[in-house]
Amino acid sequence: MNDDIDQLLRNRVSFLADAGPDEDIAISSRIRLARNLAGHRFPVAADSAELHGICDEVSEAARESGALGCPACFSFDPEKMNELDRELLLERRLASRDFLNRPTGTRLLVKDDESRSVMINEEDHLRIQTMLPGFQLDAVWKQIDELDNQLGSRLDYAFDDRLGFLTCCPTNVGTGMRASVMLHLPGLVLTGQITPTIQGINKLNLAVRGIGGEGTSNQGSLFQVSNQSTLGESETQILERLNTVIGQLIAHEKNARQLLLQRDQFSLLDHVGRSYGTLRHSYKLSGEEAVNCLSGVRVGVDLGMFTALNIHTVNELFIGIGAAHLQKAAGRALNAAERDVCRAALCREKLKA
Amino acid sequence: MLCDICKKNEATIHIKEMHGGETHTANLCAACASEKEKNGELSALGFNLAEMLCNLGKISSVLKPPQEQTQPERATVCPNCGWTVDKVRNFGGRLGCPECYKVFAPMLAEAIKNVHRGSVHLGKRPQSASHDGRAALEAELNNRRHELDALIKREEYEEAAVCRDRINQLKAELEQLTNGEVDHE
Repeated sequence: MNDDIDQLLRNRVSFLADAGPDEDIAISSRIRLARNLAGHRFPVAADSAELHGICDEVSEAARESGALGCPACFSFDPEKMNELDRELLLERRLASRDFLNRPTGTRLLVKDDESRSVMINEEDHLRIQTMLPGFQLDAVWKQIDELDNQLGSRLDYAFDDRLGFLTCCPTNVGTGMRASVMLHLPGLVLTGQITPTIQGINKLNLAVRGIGGEGTSNQGSLFQVSNQSTLGESETQILERLNTVIGQLIAHEKNARQLLLQRDQFSLLDHVGRSYGTLRHSYKLSGEEAVNCLSGVRVGVDLGMFTALNIHTVNELFIGIGAAHLQKAAGRALNAAERDVCRAALCREKLKA
Repeated sequence: MLCDICKKNEATIHIKEMHGGETHTANLCAACASEKEKNGELSALGFNLAEMLCNLGKISSVLKPPQEQTQPERATVCPNCGWTVDKVRNFGGRLGCPECYKVFAPMLAEAIKNVHRGSVHLGKRPQSASHDGRAALEAELNNRRHELDALIKREEYEEAAVCRDRINQLKAELEQLTNGEVDHE
């Protein structure tokens, strides 16, 4: 399993490193499907033996179907992993905090390029995930639909004729689908339009969260927009609604950036320049400061200020500066002060051009 | 409207109190309301505002509060997993097993209606599920109507005609089912 983690660490994170539509604003598109097995208690009520049985049943279905590229896929049992390796899965957006906090009977299956994965026994027996770079929810849906069919033909899903796929929490019942796009919206943040925009989106029954999940502020101007309702509309209708709103949001962000360039060009250039300067010349960088500065540099890349710097390098740094990634790269546990030093060194190195 | 306390954030919670025939209105933002609730200043209002705020969008906030549940409802236990009404509430609206949806159906119906945009599944169905039941027909009807709109927008009238025929067929099948159910009764 340690080999798997090391291999994962060496991987290019395809949803950050590859090109995608509207990638100047949309970082990645993700869909998660919640599925459960008929005849079994949900993980919250199941005992250890039942949970381990479910892990084996789902793993077998994944192996047989060849979904996730198994048997060549990665397989992680969090209960057998150390804290640092578990955090690494969280930083790579392959596992949720809830999943890692469960004491026993969980497993994570991951395709080698990390575009597809299945969390077994998170809140539901299966949380199937597919992620692609940029704004392309329809392509993500095509992939996850296929993956779901491959697994579903070998597993007996809990399904009700009127309520659809039955999930542990009734907030996910029906399609069991949560689709989201990670957006970089510095234009709306800098022009003060972000709060009314978020309020408007909330009224459309869609959720907007900061990068760190619920309750986090505008850190790095990164936001995740997702659907809330999972019942009463088909998957395609939910995605259409999301596509329309996100398309408009991207247009607003482009306008906001133009407005800043026209009205307050030097403030914007100063923001980008200072962000670059900090990343390029600091010797100590906290996680929050690094995220905010990377956000600034990302705008600069979009504006064509850094010809030698690639937007994917910046994207990958968002993950590389994570506490677990820094410690794995250093090959030892680091305290907060040491991490700040390593984070600064990594940014200096990657932005050297 | 700005929050009465911080005067910065938009007020999203509006509380009306009646005192001796006079109405007092408090307009608060979520943060200030939560803070006041923590300090116990809103407890006189007779509901747990913090719980309401924290669970906004979550199912547990729209489940019937325990005092409103009748005795038989509270005593309901899922025979498959042993889950109880209290457990549903304590676990933030989560259920113990797929069977719980039938056992706690009366309690869940209203909550599901409040959280979602509809109460019938219109999305994909597993290969093993029935494709000729009422819900499956309703799902296909919904999708075909959607498809018809798109085809007309794109001015693809031949495909639209095929789609319209299928819609009429589905409507007829649904009507037949309804009549069958009435006859059966």
